[in-house]
Amino acid sequence: MSDFLAQLLESLLGTFSSPEKRVFVGFLLSAWLIAVVWLVWRQGQSLKDALRQLFSRKLWWSRTARADYKLLLANRLVLLLIAPRLLSQLAIATFVFQSMHQVGLPDSGPDWPPALIAFLFTLWIFLLDDCSRYLLHRWMHTWPVLWPFHRVHHSATRLTPLTIFRTHPVEGVLFILRTALVQGLSIGLFVFFFGDRVDLLTVLGANLFLFAFNALGANLRHSEIPLRYPRGLERWLMSPAQHQLHHSIAPEHHHCNFGVVLSVWDRLGGSLQHTTAGQSIRYGVPDQRGEAEHGLVGLYWQPCRRVFDLVVRRIGVARWRRRHRDYPADYGMEP
Amino acid sequence: MKRLPLATALSVALFGTSAAYAGGDFYADFPVTLQGYQGDESHSVSYPGQIARHVLHDSLKKLSGRSTGDNAAEIKAQMMAYFKGDAEGRAILAPTSKAGFEIKQDQVDQLSKGKNLADKAYKGAVPGWPGNMSGEEVLAFMLDKAANNQGGYDSVNGMDYIQLLSKTAMGAVFYNQAVDVYLDERLEADRYPNDQPYKKGRHYTGKEHVWDEAFGYFGVPAHTMNLDAKTVYAITKGKPEAFKAADANGDGVVDLLTEMAFAHGYYAAAADKGGKSNYLKTITQAFIDGRQLIADAQGEVLTDAQRARLKAYADTIKSNWEKVIAEAVYKYAGSVYQDLKKIEIVIETNGDIGPVMRDYAKHWGELKGFALALQMGGKDLGATALQLNRLIGFSPVLLGNTQVTGIDANGDYIQAKSIDMGAYMGNMIQVQALLDEQFGLAARSNQIGDSLSALNAKLKSKETGEND
Repeated sequence: MSDFLAQLLESLLGTFSSPEKRVFVGFLLSAWLIAVVWLVWRQGQSLKDALRQLFSRKLWWSRTARADYKLLLANRLVLLLIAPRLLSQLAIATFVFQSMHQVGLPDSGPDWPPALIAFLFTLWIFLLDDCSRYLLHRWMHTWPVLWPFHRVHHSATRLTPLTIFRTHPVEGVLFILRTALVQGLSIGLFVFFFGDRVDLLTVLGANLFLFAFNALGANLRHSEIPLRYPRGLERWLMSPAQHQLHHSIAPEHHHCNFGVVLSVWDRLGGSLQHTTAGQSIRYGVPDQRGEAEHGLVGLYWQPCRRVFDLVVRRIGVARWRRRHRDYPADYGMEP
Repeated sequence: MKRLPLATALSVALFGTSAAYAGGDFYADFPVTLQGYQGDESHSVSYPGQIARHVLHDSLKKLSGRSTGDNAAEIKAQMMAYFKGDAEGRAILAPTSKAGFEIKQDQVDQLSKGKNLADKAYKGAVPGWPGNMSGEEVLAFMLDKAANNQGGYDSVNGMDYIQLLSKTAMGAVFYNQAVDVYLDERLEADRYPNDQPYKKGRHYTGKEHVWDEAFGYFGVPAHTMNLDAKTVYAITKGKPEAFKAADANGDGVVDLLTEMAFAHGYYAAAADKGGKSNYLKTITQAFIDGRQLIADAQGEVLTDAQRARLKAYADTIKSNWEKVIAEAVYKYAGSVYQDLKKIEIVIETNGDIGPVMRDYAKHWGELKGFALALQMGGKDLGATALQLNRLIGFSPVLLGNTQVTGIDANGDYIQAKSIDMGAYMGNMIQVQALLDEQFGLAARSNQIGDSLSALNAKLKSKETGEND
């Protein structure tokens, strides 16, 4: 038990002290600095007003923000128990590495300089990771059995950098599996072809590209600072304001901007929306349950209940159809 | 820490005797505790027969590479003398003195008389070798093949009998005797009791000698706890720079009885010298502690509590010794994998396949020999053993993608179409994964795809459920 508590404490502290994490204290500071500069220089606010907007008690101690903190703690406990029991990244990498022996010769990749191989591996894993995040995020929105779990994240009515922890454990498990699959596959493939010449380019232990993304204000994605990029740049890189659109309660903003770093995937998938100057957004979900949305038990239980109801309803409809074969196929289905 | 009884310690201080192992942890100088003993012996430690068998094994290994193809009968006769014979006058062919590393003994009889390997070889079935043979029969078969193949190497079937015979023999004789006989049934209350001499006329008790013989089979110097793994490794190799460390009593020669390392003791040191494991000292310390427990019983029958503690030390020895062998299998699976890669490259570049095939056979012989040894500990390894034998097969995968599948009535190998070399490389990966999973290995030398672990550590997956 004491080992587990120590592990829990270490995990919590590591969240803010590790440069591999979005909310590393250095990245939070850089995001706030960028926000202050943007608010003062581009929005014409005074420094005092800018700081008040960033650090208002009303924001950080709101009911919705407190729900974020509860989920941070509760999920850490739950996922520390679950994560070791999931299919491991190393197991996937080893499986891929071993399977490749059926199709080719190991270490048979081109004789490129190690620096080039490291760059390619770092770039590959960044691109595959970013693309898979887009895809999973899109499915979380469009698959009826997944949306109730992702809805927990969208039920936030105010946004702070810690809103990234407003996640249902089921969604957390999917994130862990996605990462394991993407990284395991990449490691297995590259090590098969390039052996011990493969390396990862890092800055303070974090992937070079993700370090840059986090250092350049990624934490503002979950903030109420509508920092936007020029339109041409927003076609390639997801601005914080574009992600805030994604969290908008307005119907015209639904199912847009699923991407994390690159907006290329949304462009290809037809879900890209650009920001507008002075956009004002109300955050949340259309069927918000008010203050009841922010209780921990409800946040954990409601998605399970919704999925259960959905499955039961579908089974019920399927049974009804079998009994009433003469009726139209879509009879009784929701539009 | 070895605790000398006060009277003995005072005697040593007053009369200056037994200065050889003063201080530190040694498997030595345990006093005579046999009640009623009135002879001249002052110490009860004795395992010369086991050292004689180590020397017989090393000498046999030396002989197994001496066949020219034309002298099969002569070589076989010489080998049989060391394997099954018990005649006097057998010279020690290995280890022998070299410049800067003088060894005390050069005759087997100077260690112990009338010993051989065959009588103590594992008598159970060896499913990992074709032909449904016992351990002794497998060794005899390999011996015969070594004598009938030039240099002990059968290039047609990929068999290096120098390695196969040696590694299998270490398991069939030393490992099996130690963990399945001495550290098992002979620790029971009704076998070799501690209040009786081991045999009539001996000055050591039943339990003292049982424990000593197990220690002897492990094959480490008595002063191992004062050495590091690299030094023990170098001692076995007879390196001049390790001579001073080996010569514990400073008499200018290395005494094979107490100052040399052999067999699995050497392999424990080999695993540990990478700094990731500590098998050598864990096993040696358990032996010393167990021997001290027996000495503290002062020639009385062990109580239940003492026997339970002794068995706990035995369990530590057995589990770590098993891991030492598993580490060796792991290492050579990695070596075979690398050899297969080289073979593929040589084939593609039309190079000289001979040398790489020779290395491949050598490493495969070590892999297979240790894998067979692992299954001779008297413990049913169940599915692990079955998987291991299937993955490794009865021979290496040969050019043309064939493997040995059996032995005919004449004792000749039968080959058949098998998997290709690429798939066999995959088998080696599975061998390592299986061993790591089943035995929890620490050293993991020659890990295939060790970059996988290194990169995995750099790319830790999210366990925090962060949204994007």
